[in-house]
Amino acid sequence: MKLGRILSYSLPVLFLFLLPAFLQGNEYYLHVFIIIGINVILAISLRAIATTGQVSLGHAGFMSIGAYTSAILTMQFDFPTYGALLLGGLAAMAVAAVIAYPITRVRTIYFAMLTMFLGQVISLVVTKWREVTGGTSGLLNIHPLGTISIPGLITIDFSTKLPYAYFILFLVFVVLLFLYGIENSYIGMTLKSIEQDESLAASIGTNIANSKAIIMCIGCFFAGLAGSFYAHYTSVLTPDTFGLFPSLYIIVHVIVGGRRRFSGAIIGAIVLTMIPEIFRILKEYQPLVFVAVLLLVIFFLPGGLVGLPQTVRVEISKIYKRRAGNA
Amino acid sequence: MLETIKVTKSFKGLRAINSIDLEVDAAEIVGIIGPNGAGKTTLFNLITGFLQPTSGKIVFRGKDITGRKPNAIAELGVARTFQLDRIFHDFTVLQNVMVASRLYARIGFWEAIFHTRRYRTKYADVWEYAKKILQFIGLDNKKDEIASNLAHGHQKLLGIAVALAANPKLLLLDEPVAGMNREEIAVALEIIGKIRSRGISILLIDHNMSAVMSVCDRIVVLNFGTEIARGSPEEVKRNKDVIQAYLGVGKHAA
Repeated sequence: MKLGRILSYSLPVLFLFLLPAFLQGNEYYLHVFIIIGINVILAISLRAIATTGQVSLGHAGFMSIGAYTSAILTMQFDFPTYGALLLGGLAAMAVAAVIAYPITRVRTIYFAMLTMFLGQVISLVVTKWREVTGGTSGLLNIHPLGTISIPGLITIDFSTKLPYAYFILFLVFVVLLFLYGIENSYIGMTLKSIEQDESLAASIGTNIANSKAIIMCIGCFFAGLAGSFYAHYTSVLTPDTFGLFPSLYIIVHVIVGGRRRFSGAIIGAIVLTMIPEIFRILKEYQPLVFVAVLLLVIFFLPGGLVGLPQTVRVEISKIYKRRAGNA
Repeated sequence: MLETIKVTKSFKGLRAINSIDLEVDAAEIVGIIGPNGAGKTTLFNLITGFLQPTSGKIVFRGKDITGRKPNAIAELGVARTFQLDRIFHDFTVLQNVMVASRLYARIGFWEAIFHTRRYRTKYADVWEYAKKILQFIGLDNKKDEIASNLAHGHQKLLGIAVALAANPKLLLLDEPVAGMNREEIAVALEIIGKIRSRGISILLIDHNMSAVMSVCDRIVVLNFGTEIARGSPEEVKRNKDVIQAYLGVGKHAA
């Protein structure tokens, strides 16, 4: 039993660890791998915010805060890239902290609208503040991540895609461990209780405003971190990378994967990042594809992709029952 | 223990609660009755901080709690139940009570995320604490059921268990026996008596007169936000204004 559990955790980890090495020959596959990593962080951090019942429509906005902060710090102030990476996350978190208290007071649909406008405001600022952000033409030649060298042991030079793949893999693991730790703890239980009944949660002593603000800050920190990484990886930033649609895509990832389960956001981000890449022809029609997948899931897979095995089981048992009934 | 001093609440000029003075002593059960719309639940919301009074003062154990947030008031030792079946429907019965034990648990943020040894000890402790409360309420045999699958009567009792888990000194019960059958009511009333014998004061709203009369030490009657009578169940039963308010004699008489 115990061995089985260890294997069930360690085999996927081992597989993921070896995967970039297998993909090494193909730059394009590595690129998809890295983008999947970024999308997983975005989806899982959005899901964290959503555990209290709030759906943010401005998550890509927080990603862009991280991306631009990190890019500008390294380009104009010669900041070390790893420090800038962290500060990118912290900048997104700081913005979240400032707006969290007023914004988390409103419920569901109003929260969604406010975060959507916030995302639009962020992208407007990025577009108009030409001197700093480069406006619509964006920022070019953002520094790659700095070389990691441990003398006598190893030197990792970020001139190819492979080290980025391993770096994002590392980030994904850290983020997943942290957020999984929250979700499966007493804190996670408290956050979920807020989603179910806010007044009841308050009546037993939960500070609703604080709880919502804290999880929003944490979620936005990781979005900022993903943004910073993205900036150094692609070396190019333009405002349209982080508009309303990317924010919506993150939500679609979470819903398609399965909102109720932690693994849902991960599966959703992986599958939906891969679909347009596998069927290259579909890439132009990405919004259409996403809507189609979303509708299919909403109507036929109420538990999302992670709920697929259970949905199938339920359907099969229904068929058996019907047969038994007829016999 | 609890004292409200000339508490008034107006909604757009309409006085839902009009200058109510109310005291609840230690280990006392006080009932609030009155026709629909009399302002009973509004009074509960004022005491527990879900609404702010327009004027007046609410004092709990010598502290002025007027205008404080619900969670701050809960922390001082005032817990409440809600009308209908307000519980955490997606949680199991035990999870409901565990999450409500936060004031007892005092689990910190970082220790929870990193599952430290201290956290695991505290968590095991909360588990025991929640189980004891369920035993007390008589729901321990249902502890692993999803709350929404419980029968109505059991959901009501779970609501009380959730409030009790917050470790209150004063418990406000909003229609604890509404919709229950006779046997369920008997069980609920016995539990309410047991809670009182633990030294917890109870303020209770219900429309079931026989239940209120049998369990309360004192009763306050509201009508249109104003107190029209108070006293022992016997006194209230005989009060002319009360009979009139309930039967509408003189007002709607043809």
